[in-house]
Amino acid sequence: MKLLTTNRLHDGVTLWWGENGWVLDAALAARLDDAEAEALLAEWKPRETEVVAPYLVPLNDADAPVQREHVREFVRANGPTTGPTTARIAQDHARALIFQD
Amino acid sequence: MSPLDMPYTQDQTIVTLPRANSSYEPTLIDDSGARLDNDWTLLADDEPVGSDGNYVLSFDRALTELDGLNGRYGVRVNAGQDVRELAPWLDKIALVEAVFPIYRDGRNYSTARILRQDYGFKGPIRAVGDVLRDQLLLMLRCGFNEFIVKDRDAAEALASAKARFTTYYQSAADAHRPTWALRHQVGV
Amino acid sequence: MYVYDKFDSAFAKDRVREFSDQVRRRLAGEITEDQFKPLRLMNGLYLQLHAYMYRIAIPYGVLASRQIRKLAHIARTYDRGFGHFTTRTNMQFHWIKLADAPKILEELSEVEMHSLQTSGNCIRNTTTDQFAAAARDEIEDPRPWCELIRQWSSNHPEFSFLPRKFKIAITAATKDRAAIRLHDIGLHLTPQGFDVYVGGGMGRTPALAHRIRIGLPGSELLSYLEACLRVYNRYGRRDNSFKARIKILVAALGPDEYKRQVEEEWATMDKSRIDPPQAEIDRIRSYFPAPDLAPRPFDEAAHERAKTADPEFARWVKNNLNPHKNDDYVSVTVSLKPIGKTPGDISHQQMDLLADMADRFGTGELRVTHEQNIVLPHIAKADLYDLYRELDKVELTTANIGKITDIICCPGLDYCSLANARSIPLAQSISNRFADAALSDKIGDLSIKMSGCINACGHHHNGNIGILGVDKQGIEVYQILLGGRADENAALGQITGKGLPAEAIPAAIERVVQLYLQLRTDESERFIDTLERVGRPTFAEALHEPA
Repeated sequence: MKLLTTNRLHDGVTLWWGENGWVLDAALAARLDDAEAEALLAEWKPRETEVVAPYLVPLNDADAPVQREHVREFVRANGPTTGPTTARIAQDHARALIFQD
Repeated sequence: MSPLDMPYTQDQTIVTLPRANSSYEPTLIDDSGARLDNDWTLLADDEPVGSDGNYVLSFDRALTELDGLNGRYGVRVNAGQDVRELAPWLDKIALVEAVFPIYRDGRNYSTARILRQDYGFKGPIRAVGDVLRDQLLLMLRCGFNEFIVKDRDAAEALASAKARFTTYYQSAADAHRPTWALRHQVGV
Repeated sequence: MYVYDKFDSAFAKDRVREFSDQVRRRLAGEITEDQFKPLRLMNGLYLQLHAYMYRIAIPYGVLASRQIRKLAHIARTYDRGFGHFTTRTNMQFHWIKLADAPKILEELSEVEMHSLQTSGNCIRNTTTDQFAAAARDEIEDPRPWCELIRQWSSNHPEFSFLPRKFKIAITAATKDRAAIRLHDIGLHLTPQGFDVYVGGGMGRTPALAHRIRIGLPGSELLSYLEACLRVYNRYGRRDNSFKARIKILVAALGPDEYKRQVEEEWATMDKSRIDPPQAEIDRIRSYFPAPDLAPRPFDEAAHERAKTADPEFARWVKNNLNPHKNDDYVSVTVSLKPIGKTPGDISHQQMDLLADMADRFGTGELRVTHEQNIVLPHIAKADLYDLYRELDKVELTTANIGKITDIICCPGLDYCSLANARSIPLAQSISNRFADAALSDKIGDLSIKMSGCINACGHHHNGNIGILGVDKQGIEVYQILLGGRADENAALGQITGKGLPAEAIPAAIERVVQLYLQLRTDESERFIDTLERVGRPTFAEALHEPA
């Protein structure tokens, strides 16, 4: 399964494809099968006035981003792991950290 | 509208995407923005040079053949080719096409400047290839005076480029005087 | 410092208009992301993991108090209340909206600031000595030359689309505090003129710059730079962005051949059109007069009493001050490396306080260093304790300049989309490991520099200990380099053995430090000196010894 994610053009905020469209909270990201994922990616890549460079995140059996993406997607889903804005994104959504190892 | 606000429906198969300004038909303009007819033909290297008409030769061909040709020709200089090698035959060159294979490849800015400032080349230097409105001012400053652009409104793109700045910190191949010349009334 | 005249102001305004128009066109879809990207990069705007990052230019590291107040305001209004100083002495904001960028640029232009050419394949911010006009070993104030280069390189029509970024640094003192040999062009100002070094840099293929010219008159600096840049623009590689810096070209041609091409090019140029007249150099110099410093008698006894009563103050005096030309004064380096925190970060409250300190105790001026700290260049010794107590209110009195916890570190994978690994958490754990003040002072001068990827924004090649984050299929692994130097005896660190996980590194560094303490001849032999005397292999062994 895969996730579809991107950054919103006008403010750079991370977006995740949810059940019915883009959502701000990675916890609501929809698990997509390959066909669905590719179709959505092909649709959204040219929509440059809305999103910038959408891409797919493969998930492992534990339903988390695969090893080679896990730090990056953890940080995108929750916020930096350090500094004044540690876990800021998770805080904004009033939830626990997701995509942990 | 934020993509979060737009309801997604399964049958949203046709999305009207905005069109980039650089995706229109190519037009040839001069440095006043006037449209020109492009009556130059780029010859393939194995095509014979005709006796009438305006022909653009590739760089390598020009190097080997210009010596033996009469009349005046165009030469296409690709990014990375050394325009100085054409020096012996500049009087036979009526047009230089300098190619921008991609707008990020800035090698031919140097080509134009060298032609204008080192050799005093007075003929048209034409920017071809990936020529976008945001680089037109830089090209003008380096000595380009013709442009093939794929902009929605080529004349407007050029006018807008010329009007962007009034301060020019350095002298180049155009007539703009650098700030230091204006500050100290130095003739440059 | 330099003040805009009508030409500079017009340029700044026009730049705001141009960039605003480019952003508008991007938001409307009139320009593609691919076409927009170099334009927004030339205005310092990156799209990163969480938001846009905006890199504001701080030309040659100099900030007026009103400018740092404006940065504080921008941090509060458009970001999350803090900023980050980079190793090129610029400021980054990490939570910016594209739609706000033109407004921010306009606000910056009100205080003669901008974000021009802080990114992109163009000529970047020229950096120099943070102690300019203050240091005892200075030959001449380098900043007028930095300003001259800044103007000449702004919107240069021939050099806006180079093969890759281009970085220039100037030093004009006996000690090189600008690391000129690690730059694309390094300029050493001597009494005879400029010695020109070309082809240094870090990244995938680090190199030290080669000297190609001695004693170049300042009156010919710009035309010579044009010749250097033209050769690079024409012949630098365009096929591989990892092989596109000028250091690759210089290495491929050989420095002698590169020099020959430059001088051939230079000979064809009409220098009278490129080199400004002496009047322009004098005009710029007039903005950098020797600071007007009133005599301030220094009560040494009172100072000693204060140090005895306040040992923290004593440490700060020992570690954070630099001698000044004027005996009544010192230069104060404010550390932005508090123990266990993010190196180089500064809050809006700290920015405002520093502005007040610059106005009250200094000459209204601050200097950002390429080690991500900030300097008050002209502080009367008599004012030191008062200054210290003010700085202490906002936790700006960490006494660790040049010490093991004065870590240089890039933002890394917590922020940056180019990174392979996170860097800040590791910097924090190393900092915590060596938090003990007595130990840190005992170790003495030791530079640790860390980068989260090969782009080397943390300058890991020129740290005494360098750390490079790499990505092994998603596992963060760190390679350790030893023996780098950023001073006038510049040297590149060498990788030692295989990479380590983050957890293993503080202990590894501790082993190296313990070995140094054992082997040093005495306290005056610094870490780098012992390393050079004894050799890297001995230290590399200690690094990788099992705990």
